[in-house]
Amino acid sequence: MMTRIFKRMFNAKGQRVNGSRRQPWLFLFVLLCPFVPLSLCVEKAQSGAASQNQFSIRWTPDPTDAGRVAVEVSGLSDAALKRLRQANWKPPQWQRLLSVYAGQGSDQSLPPMLGAYRVRSGSLRFEPQFPLEPGVAYRAVFRPDQLPGASGSKAAPITADFQLPPRNTTPTTVVSHIYPSASLLPENLLKFYVHFSAPMSRGRIYDHIHLRDEAGQEIELPFLEIDEELWDPAMTRLTLIIDPGRIKRGVLPLEEIGPALETGKSYTLVIARECRDGAGNPLKENYQKVFKVGPPDREPLDHTRWQIQSPKAGGRDALAVTFTKPMDHALARRVISVTNESGEIVEGKVELEDQERRWVFVPDSPWRRGQYKLVIQTTIEDLAGNNIGKPFEVDLFEGVQRRLASPTVKLSFEIL
Amino acid sequence: MWGLPRLNQKEKIMKRFALHLALMLVALGLFVQGASAKWTSDMKEGKAEFKSMGPLTFGPDGILFVADTKAAAIVAIATGDTKRATGANLLKVEGINQKIAALLGTTADQILIEDLAINPISQNAYLAVSRGRGPDAVPVLVRVKADSQMEVVSLDKVKFSRAELPDAPADAMVGQGNRQSNPRRESITDIGFLNGRLFVAGLANEEFASTLRAVPFPFKNVAKGTSVEIYHGAHGQFETRAPVRTFATFKIGKEDHLLAAYTCTPLVQFPVSELTPGAKIKGKTIAELGNRNRPLDMIVYQMEGKTYLLMANSSRGVMKISTDQIDKAESITARVADKQGLPYETIASWTGVDHLDRLDSKHVVVLRRVEGGSLNLEALPLP
Repeated sequence: MMTRIFKRMFNAKGQRVNGSRRQPWLFLFVLLCPFVPLSLCVEKAQSGAASQNQFSIRWTPDPTDAGRVAVEVSGLSDAALKRLRQANWKPPQWQRLLSVYAGQGSDQSLPPMLGAYRVRSGSLRFEPQFPLEPGVAYRAVFRPDQLPGASGSKAAPITADFQLPPRNTTPTTVVSHIYPSASLLPENLLKFYVHFSAPMSRGRIYDHIHLRDEAGQEIELPFLEIDEELWDPAMTRLTLIIDPGRIKRGVLPLEEIGPALETGKSYTLVIARECRDGAGNPLKENYQKVFKVGPPDREPLDHTRWQIQSPKAGGRDALAVTFTKPMDHALARRVISVTNESGEIVEGKVELEDQERRWVFVPDSPWRRGQYKLVIQTTIEDLAGNNIGKPFEVDLFEGVQRRLASPTVKLSFEIL
Repeated sequence: MWGLPRLNQKEKIMKRFALHLALMLVALGLFVQGASAKWTSDMKEGKAEFKSMGPLTFGPDGILFVADTKAAAIVAIATGDTKRATGANLLKVEGINQKIAALLGTTADQILIEDLAINPISQNAYLAVSRGRGPDAVPVLVRVKADSQMEVVSLDKVKFSRAELPDAPADAMVGQGNRQSNPRRESITDIGFLNGRLFVAGLANEEFASTLRAVPFPFKNVAKGTSVEIYHGAHGQFETRAPVRTFATFKIGKEDHLLAAYTCTPLVQFPVSELTPGAKIKGKTIAELGNRNRPLDMIVYQMEGKTYLLMANSSRGVMKISTDQIDKAESITARVADKQGLPYETIASWTGVDHLDRLDSKHVVVLRRVEGGSLNLEALPLP
């Protein structure tokens, strides 16, 4: 039949014959011929063979990655697989045939999961784009009536459920420490660092952190709430910045609702167990830090008054620096380093002791005789955010000019 | 006899017109291509890697800037999404957090939508999404098309360029061998594009400082990007280094300005021309928007010949701020009992708006939290 149509449309040299112009449907039919008759055939074959029992769905975990689980539909005829291979479908068409729903049960009003569809020898395979989550119920649905050419087929969809074992829900994570360690803090305290024993989850953390006064009354909005939340990369440390508007003199929020902390009063910082860890579990218990508030500290740091205790050469005894007041834990650990006579950085371990008043450095290799330097970035802060040579709160016009131009200051010491 | 039929004068004119039109279109095409190449010639094609996705903003020619806070970098992606919108549909997706969670094979409580940006050409919405909330969260870029259909934007093979933030903390500490990783991180609170420069507002989780960087785009010489410190004269003459939460670009007279909303409520303006490397800028506080409030997102729009700011914030609905007097506004330096400066009205019915971006001259797209914790993405008429 195809040959006859071609002969009616084209002459022996392959040129179009005149009459064919009047029969565009013939041309269209020829173009579609390879597909249309096949589709018609498929419909017949599939509707006869696509009984529900013919197909089966299998969830196939990847042995090397627990979260990687694929869905395989077997029982498709070679012809059906070939047609699928040639179908050149877009995602919505594939999803009508085979889809995986996350956590929806039989509702399925939400879209199916994204993933890649592959036609393999003997099966159709769906590989989810993202790993499956522990404890979430997944349902794969295969609809045989959506196979190419199966329109009119009454084959019912078949389903297969899958669930990875839920995560351990026993709370194990705790608050391991809160800095500053001291129990007497200045009225203009700028930050708390909350350290957790395991990685935490992000989102709405401020709902579970409370600052209460002596009467147990909640202090309203004491912290700068940053949507992103100020976590370290490992998500085991959260920085809480006290809203500068609740510290600074003359700034509007302070005028209206008063300072967050007031001299002479006691407060409790509560990290509620509702904070979620990385596995989604609550903390093992609430954590409380009780502290008393002293006068504000508006003095810039003076590094020249720090006391250095130098160890002896030949050993790995600690180098100790005693500050004049407690320092910001994170910055004191990070922005002070030791250099030798050649200006090279000496590797070693840093600890802060005595409620962040003392910086202790143990070198990886024994000390050698010679001149050393303590290199301190001027961005180091005390508990109130005062820097070296610059208090946190300065007069607007003077303060900007008065800033130290140098990013570091140095203190010399000798190892004998 | 088989030659072309003779054309009458009208047909000749028509043909000539068609030829000229075709030539003009070709020339326009080449021009547009040239203009587009200006922005993308330095880009490479391949897989754009992300550790996280935070604030988003569109630049020219469908180029999307994505802030990667974890990597301390900004990535410019040529989305290729440059087909002009027909304007036939208005975006509306109810329960978008649940729908995205379903697409990504997880539950809605494991989805965080970090930011929203509308492609001004196609009017498709782009969402920076975090799949998961912990340290292993996977960033995903989701596109909501004008017909409200959603898809994940594949970044496996795209044209992109990348700018590492100047002075960004290294992942590992140098010189202190015991420290496995550097806990310092700089959150990027907002980004904005203006006249070939990308402005990046940031806040560190250790030292307390407000930084605003200007990174030239296309990304060249990024290592020398501009970093400025902005001070605003808060009441009582004390400087504030508080971080910029969100900002918008704005013309006052003929000069471009940035309007920055701080976490402790003031709205501060400063001229873009002052943003030079190492500069210390004194901004002008032009409005106090009340306390117990956090600004979340801000756009500028025009209506009936006037310019307004629209600001989403944590506790007062969306604020519509008139800019009529902005060029004459005096800096607020004295203590005020209540709100002061530019007048504003609160669109009280727009509750729960976390993010917003302009869709067209008449509409804004908002991401709003509704009862039950569900999030809706919807286009609303500009107030």
